[in-house]
Amino acid sequence: MTEELSFEERAARVRSILAAARRLADARDPLGQEARARLPAVTGLSEAGVELALSRHLETNVSPADLERLIARAGSAPRVHVVLSANVFAGAVRAIAFASVTAPSVIVRASTRETVMAPLLRRALREADDRFDFDLSSTLAAKPGDEVHVYGRRETIDAVGAAMPRGVRIRAHGPGIGIAVIDAHGGVPPFAAELLSWDVVAFDQRGCLSPRLAFVAGSADEVDAFAVGVSEALERREREVPRGLISADERSEQTLYRNTMTAIGKFYAGSSFSVGVDLAPRGVPLPPSGRNLHVARVVDSDDLIRLLAPLRASITCVGHVAPGALAVHAIALACGARSLPLGSMQTPPLDGPVDLREMV
Amino acid sequence: MLSAEEHRCRLHTRVRSFIEASARGDAAAESFDGLGLAVLRYQADHVAAYQRLLARAGRDPGRVSEVRVLPAVPSDAFRFARIAAHPPADDVALFRTSGTTALPRGEHALSTTETYECSALAWGGWALFCDIHEPLTAIILSPRENPESSLHFMMKTFAARFAPKAHYLQTSDLSAIDADELERACDAAARAGAPAIVMGTSFAFVHALDALGGRRLQLPQASRAMHTGGFKGRSRAVDARELRGHIAQTFGVSEGAVVGEYGMTELSSQLYEGTLRGQRGFDTPSATHGTFIPPPWMRVAAVDPETLLPLADGEVGILRFEDLANVDGALAIQTADRGRCTSAGVELMGRSPGAPPRGCSLALEDLLENG
Repeated sequence: MTEELSFEERAARVRSILAAARRLADARDPLGQEARARLPAVTGLSEAGVELALSRHLETNVSPADLERLIARAGSAPRVHVVLSANVFAGAVRAIAFASVTAPSVIVRASTRETVMAPLLRRALREADDRFDFDLSSTLAAKPGDEVHVYGRRETIDAVGAAMPRGVRIRAHGPGIGIAVIDAHGGVPPFAAELLSWDVVAFDQRGCLSPRLAFVAGSADEVDAFAVGVSEALERREREVPRGLISADERSEQTLYRNTMTAIGKFYAGSSFSVGVDLAPRGVPLPPSGRNLHVARVVDSDDLIRLLAPLRASITCVGHVAPGALAVHAIALACGARSLPLGSMQTPPLDGPVDLREMV
Repeated sequence: MLSAEEHRCRLHTRVRSFIEASARGDAAAESFDGLGLAVLRYQADHVAAYQRLLARAGRDPGRVSEVRVLPAVPSDAFRFARIAAHPPADDVALFRTSGTTALPRGEHALSTTETYECSALAWGGWALFCDIHEPLTAIILSPRENPESSLHFMMKTFAARFAPKAHYLQTSDLSAIDADELERACDAAARAGAPAIVMGTSFAFVHALDALGGRRLQLPQASRAMHTGGFKGRSRAVDARELRGHIAQTFGVSEGAVVGEYGMTELSSQLYEGTLRGQRGFDTPSATHGTFIPPPWMRVAAVDPETLLPLADGEVGILRFEDLANVDGALAIQTADRGRCTSAGVELMGRSPGAPPRGCSLALEDLLENG
């Protein structure tokens, strides 16, 4: 029989995890220092990229309302096995928090490539001598009735799903993208490009919320001016938060994306980023992760829907200056996508899994 | 001064002459680079996308002596813009890449199919029909009509030239293959006595084999099979070697007679494994499965994935194709496909082994796989 956790017990667990996360976010804390020392090597992010993620994107607080939503979204099981992905290391906090409000027992399998974050969180919990703790395991041994929360690429999700016995509930959160939807008629506030650049830079654009596409309504000049603004902002970010390592495949994809944009539109680029612009898009290419943003001009909401429809299942969040008519259309089309202001696309409220879509 | 249309027609004629001479083993009247640059100058004048690539690269086809120093059009560009030197009103065929729902389909517009047919027949004849002196029976794992598919056009072209009796085994490109109908087609070929050729995508062969459920068919002596394409966007993927073995067993042909083809919708020429030629005692640079041989009117180079500069023979890079038969669109096309080029031919490879994972951010493969 499943031991049910009370609301208060669940809430206390979340608070414990957030307290542990605060230690990692704190550059003066020994655990925070260890995180900063070890994470660049395992994530490929630059030191500044790790600092940005720890100081700005790690969940360290939750509002009472969000806590209620987080708990309401959780199920109930005797055990939750959490399969973490690599790269977006800060996601471990939310994933473990969500598991901890689901089941009394939480077993975490960290990615073989990112073995720092979960153990550090566990140490912080243990040092706090809290009643909540979780186990780390390199294997996955779920039993009927358990839940498995899988975060990662589709192959990982498929492999985990195929290996589980009947009766195990899989809650899978696969790959996705964020999009920005902006109405530039009459000009865009200058802060919009700045804020969007921070969303792009976080985790070197490898998160499932990371914006890779921006749909901008306005005249050709207004759309182009916005793209230039983002490019200039990304150039500033390049100096403040240098991009980390990217794979040979990503470098190749960036080259091909730039060439494709040369052929079909234009692009603005720095040494570590590109902003492609298509002022009359027939469809939208997917620029590679690693700080590449594709800006597509849209004429009206019908045009937006036409361009977005093929991608609707992949959209995890819609970033906007204000949730105007265009953004509302995008949110309605991308069922389950979060609606977030620009600059907050990588810091959604702690009200559930980071990606509210759930794969079957 | 020639009009654009006259210029285009003359280029097509020159290219067909080149193909016909090469296919006969004769020296062509002009060099690959000479003719290639003439086509590229025409494309530079009439294809806006290519003009932009040239401007960015600071290159002028009128001022270079080799095709390889000029930029290539990325294959992705065909999804997002019309890459054609002629107006849409002059299209006689519009081939489209196989679909994914998440990305627009690439398009290859042709102002004439004559050059495409000339290239397909010349090189298909070299690789697939080199030993044939009598009409074949064609068994085509595809519907009778599929006007958007360049592969289908090619198979129909083969049937029209080499196999007056052709069986088409699908009612639409999404319909299942009926095992009984396939068996009846093979029986008819056996009764006819002449060799048969079974043609289709690798995916269609997998489904045909599934439908047959282990039944063995017996085609006449000297029959052969041609399969092409990978499994992107498909629900099943099968190892090429395993598939070849199953095709050979099921249709009663040797593995050497199971020939792989490599083509792209955006190209007008194809590459083949030289295994059938090797087996039948004809000259071939390679008789090995997995090595694809381009025709003399096509050059393939592995280029550095970041700089796009040509690599030395044998080095692994991404493949760039220069196809003289592509007069109407882009003679030089840059793909993202990895491969290695040697004097024997082109080896195709998958994604870089051991490439680091890229988090949860959507990758292009995710879109392709979810077509």
